[in-house]
Amino acid sequence: MTTRGTASGITSGRVWKKPPFIANPWVRYGLIALTLTYLFWAFSTLPFDWERISEGLPRAAKIFGGAFPPSFERAELLWKGFKESFQIAFLATLLGVFLSIPIAVMAAKNVAPKPIYLLGRAIIIISRSFHPVIVAILFVAAVGFGPVAGILTLTLYSIGFVAKLLAEEIEEIDWGQVEAMRSVGAGYLKMLIYGVFPQIMPRQIGLSMYQLDSNLRASAVVGIVGAGGIGGTLMNAFGRYDYDFAFAILLMIIGIILISEGVSGWVRKKVW
Amino acid sequence: MGEEESMVDHAEKLTDRVWSRYDRKEQWTRYGVYLFTLVAIVWAVRDIDIFWPWVWDAPNQIQSLGARMWPPEFSTWNAIFAAMLETVHIATLSTMLTIFIALPVSYIAAQNTTPNKATLWLGRFILVSSRSVNTIIWALLFVAIFGPGVLAGILAVMFRSIGFIGKLMGEAIEEIDRRPVEAMQATGASKLKVVLYAIVPQVMPAFFAIIILRWDINIRESTVLGLVGAGGIGVLLQGSIDLFAWQTVATILLAIVVLVIMGEALTSVLRKKVI
Amino acid sequence: MLEISNLVKRYGHNEPVLKGLDLKVDGSSVVSIVGASGAGKSTLLRCINRLVEPTSGSIKLNGHELVNLRGSDLRHSRRRIGMVFQGFNLIDRLTVMENVLSGRLGYVSLFQALTRRFPQADIDRAFHLMERVGIAHYANKRADQLSGGERQRVAVVRALMQEPEILLADEPTASLDPKTSQQIMSLLQTLASEMSLPVLINIHNVTQARMYTDRIVGMRHGQMIFDGAPKDFNQDALDSIYGGIESPEEDAAEANGPAQEATA
Repeated sequence: MTTRGTASGITSGRVWKKPPFIANPWVRYGLIALTLTYLFWAFSTLPFDWERISEGLPRAAKIFGGAFPPSFERAELLWKGFKESFQIAFLATLLGVFLSIPIAVMAAKNVAPKPIYLLGRAIIIISRSFHPVIVAILFVAAVGFGPVAGILTLTLYSIGFVAKLLAEEIEEIDWGQVEAMRSVGAGYLKMLIYGVFPQIMPRQIGLSMYQLDSNLRASAVVGIVGAGGIGGTLMNAFGRYDYDFAFAILLMIIGIILISEGVSGWVRKKVW
Repeated sequence: MGEEESMVDHAEKLTDRVWSRYDRKEQWTRYGVYLFTLVAIVWAVRDIDIFWPWVWDAPNQIQSLGARMWPPEFSTWNAIFAAMLETVHIATLSTMLTIFIALPVSYIAAQNTTPNKATLWLGRFILVSSRSVNTIIWALLFVAIFGPGVLAGILAVMFRSIGFIGKLMGEAIEEIDRRPVEAMQATGASKLKVVLYAIVPQVMPAFFAIIILRWDINIRESTVLGLVGAGGIGVLLQGSIDLFAWQTVATILLAIVVLVIMGEALTSVLRKKVI
Repeated sequence: MLEISNLVKRYGHNEPVLKGLDLKVDGSSVVSIVGASGAGKSTLLRCINRLVEPTSGSIKLNGHELVNLRGSDLRHSRRRIGMVFQGFNLIDRLTVMENVLSGRLGYVSLFQALTRRFPQADIDRAFHLMERVGIAHYANKRADQLSGGERQRVAVVRALMQEPEILLADEPTASLDPKTSQQIMSLLQTLASEMSLPVLINIHNVTQARMYTDRIVGMRHGQMIFDGAPKDFNQDALDSIYGGIESPEEDAAEANGPAQEATA
């Protein structure tokens, strides 16, 4: 392959190709074939209702035509919905953050005994597995329509997120401070209060602000399945083809989420 | 001020020194925050539209719902399995399709690659509007346009993912090492070639990590699309709830947990492969 | 032949970094530019291939005016100017060969660049040059697996792939250990004479400048204050260039300046 020739010493005719991303050709072509087969399979088995879809563009034109200009006429309904969403998010954040502290302690390997640890982890995993909307339907089924279902849903949602991160934070604390507290003769609770909590406090406040922000987002959607808040108003507007009102709600949601993101980011920066 | 004076000062202070955890300004800020939170709680609890007897009854109700779900009923497992597959298809296809839109958007939304100010703001506008609207609200919109079905679901997940992938990719582009870019410019390469050689290789790992992360999220999101008619397991779930078939509901919930855990396991394996 | 006349560069409204600089480099001479950090050496080199936009003045390479070129004209003249950087500026995640071939990006089509299908002549040239500097066996290794000296060799080959009419080297040895930096300097020296290529080297190390170059240009505060053969570069010249300079602020200004400019 390497033929050194010519007076100038230039090697000629040597080939170079970019080494392939995946070295084994079987794996490489296999993956490509697999992807293509998957795409074909997925598209051919999915039930697309082409007739209904083909009506989509004129319908979209109609919807967007109906949505402009957005109507803020029913301001009272709008205010009521957003107020309820905010109340749900706020109460759920408080409850969730409060409850997440003991659960986080339970789910931290370094401060909890094994059976308690497993229980704590299980609570976290279960509350994280389900999308809040699914949890919301179940609570609506159990406790009826309205904000209670929303608060319960978002409390669980907050526990899943805050307790998980907090437990990880507790597992990473500086153990020396805990040992110091033990060595002065503090009991378990005093050890937690002096040796553990001060270390995780800033993080906890930051997480709470973050969670308030994400609960506010989520509270807009749990209403769609009847758990109170602006989501229900939006769903109704869509159902009654009030696209101008629906569009107004959407704009408000976007605006409020942007503000809340900004505020929560500002507070977190202050705390950290 | 002389040394002696300050010593005296110091001694005086020592006598009536009070220890406190926070200084005065901090203290007031803290009280302010406490008071504000307390007022907000009182207002929220009194003002919110809650029928309290229902709240006290909630534990009973939840328990009785749990009882009605037991034991899970598996007779419709093949319908559930088909719906789960559909859910996975929605998540996978929409993640794949999103890439083609999110990459150009991230390119114009990153400060160091965007052609000009106008495109920068266009890119940011697309990202913000995509991220601010929840998947299920996008689904409502697309169901209204294209009718119930998987297409609405795929589009909804796509429109939410564009903002997520686009934002993170844009940040990855902004964080690249600029020096290879300079070297490529010095060879006389055109803008596109500079992107191809100096930027693409650098953002590749971030790209895979972001796609895998979003796929995982999209699996969860796809499980609820059906509640507004946009396909997937949610359709079956809503149907069973409407029929009060609680034992089937339990099976579906179990299936969702299994799917989510499988998705998480797969993504963690993939992530290790890539990084 | 490179002719620079009355070159001025100022960032924003600050004191100019280059204050009306004149410099002529002809034939295959190796010229070293010495000066303290902040003297404007790096800016000078980056003005030549327009990574930094000169404020005023003229730069001619073999009779072609480089200032005020735009778009593809600028890219075409950049292909003729090779550059080696202090931090190597390789693309870490690509192979050595891809890094080397990237020197041809100004010549090949976008499709060829995308698919890595470079013309056979380029590949031959790449192997030839890599063998010349002793890195051919690394062709398919990732660039970030090489040592500093090897990485700088890759960067030199990449610059030579451009078939340059002049080679610019911005502190090519500052990130290397003493032994490797001597190897790189002597490599630049021999390559320059083999290919009859003029080379401009920014360098901190005055001993190396004396040893490996034919001509030394001394800069201070954006002005040229010495220009002559290494044997004439005596203690007086050294004092006038480095004397009393110990200013980290200027250092920082120089480091930030070019980067900001290049982003625009």
